[in-house]
Amino acid sequence: MGRWLDERLQFSDLLRSVFEHPIPKPSNFLDYLGFATLFAFASQAITGILLATAYIPSAAEAYNSIKALQAVTLGSYVRSLHSWGANFMVVLVFLHLLRVFYEGAYKKPRELTWIMGVILFLATLGLAFTGYLLPWNQEGYWATTVGSAMPGYIPLIGEYILRIMRNGLEVTGATLTRFYAVHMLVLPLIILLAFTPHFFFVLRQGMSVADKLEAAKQRGEDIEAKSIPFYPNVALRMILLVLVVAAALWILAGVYPKSLGSPADPLNRNHYVPTPAWYFFGVYQALKYFPGRLDVIAMVGLPFLLLIVLFGLPWIDRNPSRSPRKRPLALSIAAVLVVGLSFLTYQGIRSVPKPLPTTGVIAAPSYKADIDPIFQSRCVGCHGQSGGYSLDTYANVMKKNVVPGHPNASLLVKRIEGKVAPQMPLGLQPLSKDQIQTVKNWIKAGAKNN
Amino acid sequence: MTDEPGKRDALSDGKGLPRRRFLKTGIAGISGVLGIAYLGLIGRYLTPPAIGSDPLLPVGKTTEFSLDTPKLVVYKYGGIEQGVYVINTSDEGWIALDFHCTHLQCAVNWIPAIKKFACPCHGGVYDMKGHVLGGPPPRPLYRRIIRVQGNSVIVGGRLA
Repeated sequence: MGRWLDERLQFSDLLRSVFEHPIPKPSNFLDYLGFATLFAFASQAITGILLATAYIPSAAEAYNSIKALQAVTLGSYVRSLHSWGANFMVVLVFLHLLRVFYEGAYKKPRELTWIMGVILFLATLGLAFTGYLLPWNQEGYWATTVGSAMPGYIPLIGEYILRIMRNGLEVTGATLTRFYAVHMLVLPLIILLAFTPHFFFVLRQGMSVADKLEAAKQRGEDIEAKSIPFYPNVALRMILLVLVVAAALWILAGVYPKSLGSPADPLNRNHYVPTPAWYFFGVYQALKYFPGRLDVIAMVGLPFLLLIVLFGLPWIDRNPSRSPRKRPLALSIAAVLVVGLSFLTYQGIRSVPKPLPTTGVIAAPSYKADIDPIFQSRCVGCHGQSGGYSLDTYANVMKKNVVPGHPNASLLVKRIEGKVAPQMPLGLQPLSKDQIQTVKNWIKAGAKNN
Repeated sequence: MTDEPGKRDALSDGKGLPRRRFLKTGIAGISGVLGIAYLGLIGRYLTPPAIGSDPLLPVGKTTEFSLDTPKLVVYKYGGIEQGVYVINTSDEGWIALDFHCTHLQCAVNWIPAIKKFACPCHGGVYDMKGHVLGGPPPRPLYRRIIRVQGNSVIVGGRLA
């Protein structure tokens, strides 16, 4: 078969030139992250097509169609794979970007490969964002409402962009079909159009790690001892990485199946407080640190700056060296950004309102283990960095409203019990009786930072 | 623009368009027309419905609303139930407020105890008529068209 094809198309020389080039020893697994991302995309494409056969893109039917799918074991697993796969793809594409940055592989002659990569990164985030709405559940509906409100802050054209995204002022059935078309067709097409040159450039130019080897070969040195062939040696290592990623994906999707939650309620009868997908928690948290009107910096300014830096990186960074040791400035800036983003994401996840386990009344509560989680999940949304009274840290909690040893004299308790109006949390479900009693026990015991 | 200098095409007698240029213009022109035709179709998708173009729909009877007390009513349009607070104010007459916070469009709640709207997301607070009292909202709650015909309360799209 191979010979039959080769006789007609003369592929073997081409394939040999592409696959049998030498790679320096030892070859690093981190250099295969792009390949792992490709696997994640393939997995998304396959599970996505399967989901599309069961999904009905309309505000009236979407939720029920997924609910019916969830009732079938395999259907539920496919959806779980797709949802987990989205997380995997976002993480892998981001790690791939970091690795390429660390290696300086975006520099001449690979600027165009980087640009295509940035497009692929943004398209991946776009897929994650548009996919979130499709199940038409409460989580997706409100995350999309808030997420699509942010571009509304872009000067001059903001409201127009918001209306195009939603096809109107509100997130309606028309928004759903729009997101469906973008998620299913437009973004995959953009990914295909950007991936083809991205991949072709890598084949044509080789991986950047092999450049030194190639230079040595040009000088006539014997590189046999310092290298291994890409095919089959490195290719096998690549497929091993994919196997590890795939196993992790399959296991996580099985052990932690993606739940559907309650159907979208645009009237929000149950006072649901929106939260984004975890990979947007960085932005979510950053918003809390920009007081008042300055939040437009977090919503528009920073993302815009990030876009310019990402697309312009090969030209902004004029340092010709690729060795990490000779790029202290670039790597320091990147390290600060990554640490900052990780911190924001962590803080965001920590402060998100989540149902607390019903542990009953805790007789001797600890601030860190029992009290802070209640404040973080129910109070700091409003009483965080901004506002008169903050419940985000022990020191802030103790500034006022708490009288150690006397829970009934503490305004904090009066507010959460509703004895002093308005009852807190404002306009939301009150704390449970158990939670209130736990807070009282903690104040009774001296409101210690334990 | 003659492609091969010194070599005139047989059909060209030196005047008018050389054959090659004619063909090239044809290719570019036809592709251009096709492209523009499709761009026109795409353009229609880039013109969302005008603000305020939502239809007028009945949301309740006048007797269901107490004076100066906002009530959340359901405006069913676009395949969803949209939330609108309708208030029969003593000084301004009937007003309708869109229930999305103007900060990031979480749903605001009316808190009768303090007679204010509060947003649970970032702590935006508004008075009964939607004016910002605190928190990050950049502008008052959006108003929607409201009419009272007989004893029927009718709500429409957003006022810009």
